[in-house]
Order: sequence, then structure tokens, then C-alpha cells
Amino acid sequence: MVDERTLTAPGRFESLAQISDFITQVARDAGFDEDGVFHVQMAVDEACSNVIEHAYGQVSGDIVLTCGVDEAGDLRIDIRDSGTRFDPDSVPLPQVEVGKVDLDDLNIGGLGLFFIRKLMDEVTFRFDAESGNHLTMVKRRPH
Amino acid sequence: MTGKLAQEMLTGDVVRVAPQGRLDTFTVPEFEQILTEHLDAGRARLVVDLADVTYVSSSGLRALLSARRRARAAGGDVALCNMAPRVREIFEMVGFVSLFGIFASVQEAADAFSLDVSART
Repeated sequence: MVDERTLTAPGRFESLAQISDFITQVARDAGFDEDGVFHVQMAVDEACSNVIEHAYGQVSGDIVLTCGVDEAGDLRIDIRDSGTRFDPDSVPLPQVEVGKVDLDDLNIGGLGLFFIRKLMDEVTFRFDAESGNHLTMVKRRPH
Repeated sequence: MTGKLAQEMLTGDVVRVAPQGRLDTFTVPEFEQILTEHLDAGRARLVVDLADVTYVSSSGLRALLSARRRARAAGGDVALCNMAPRVREIFEMVGFVSLFGIFASVQEAADAFSLDVSART
């Protein structure tokens, strides 16, 4: 990857603003417009919030973000943590189709995951017993 | 968010709550606590002024939805106003614009509560 940059931050909610500043700069430097920058920032914020809330709910550790632009000019973001295994399939998808939202019936769980998948072009979760959770997200360069 | 959340009583028992900056998973608990305190005290007509809010995460949406449920159960509501286009986009992505009353100004949001009362009497 070109211009690879890494941020290691404590897996605590206090880190979210610092992570946001970091990824905002990365996306701007990668040439995304302000819409794209905002979408990348939001996806990363939701992903890191999930890590802190779920993976580091019982144990503590760092979040490691590694970002860079690949050969195709797309922005790749890797987020790693050493917390509890996260299974994205265990999270129910919220009922958020426009015009079909029922306030009393809304399944609000999984909203963060919904945003991540909506805002990024590729989203892959992996778990490895040695290195922990590993989320890879790709935002394609607008053509 | 500590120290960066304005509140004021408006006419007609309407409370304006104005968070600032990012409503992310770190800052939302304090915001949610303020909403809960008003609801616990029987103040169920809440106007959330988003003029100085730059970002709302899913945890912020959950807090607003939860407060709205409680407010409506108590005969009130949670109205939103002064939403920046970027913040509105977040609400649109999940269909929340159809859930909340969204107004252009604090005055319009507060007036909606008065109109609501007039309509009921």
C-alpha cells in the first residue's frame, strides 16, 4: 500500500475523537471529497465503537488502525484489536428501510454495523486466535 | 462533552437541550443523562437543538429514539431543530427523518408543541 499510516490508540471511548481526526486526515490526503471523508470517518467511528463496546467490554487493549491507498487508488483501512471475538453474524440487522420505520417495532441493535456496510464498499471481518479481531474496509476512489 | 451542553426552559414547559460537537459513544452518555433527568422530572417536551452538533453516531440515534419513546409515553415528544445537512444525512440513511419532528429553528420546534396543545383542547 502507498502512504501507509498507522495509529495505535487505547481501546476506550475517549480515543474516538483522536481516531476521527486521524482517519479524516488520511481520507483527505487520499483525495476523497468531503462527502467521502465524512463517510469514511463515520464507518471507522462505528467500527471502533463496536470494538470498544464489545471486544474490549471485559478486557482492555489497544486499537490499531493501518490505512493506505492500494494499487487501484482505493483506500484500505485495517482495524485490529486483541479483545473478545466479534461475530458480525450474531448481530441482527435493524429494520431501517426508509418509509418503513415503525418506532415501536424498530430493532435498533446492529445500527452501527448497518452504517459500516452502507458507507464502505468492502467490509470483511476475520478472527485469528493469535492476532485477534481484524476488520478490513475498502472505500473506492470516486471516478 | 463535559461543560459543553446548554439547557434552558422555554415557554410552555418546553426544554431546549443543545449538545455541541460530536455525539459519539464517548459523549452520548452525558447527553442521555440530561434527557433522562428532564424526563424523570416530568418534563417531556424536549427540543434538541443540533445547531452546534457536527456528528451523530448510532449511539446518539439510539439515545434520541429512547428519549422520544419515553417522552411520548408521558404525553410529550422530542423535537429536533437546526440540523446541519451532514447530520441530516445520517438521519436519512436510517429513515429517522420520518420518526422525528425536525424543524428549522428552536422557535418553530417550540411552537409545534403549543400547536399540539391547542389541537388537543
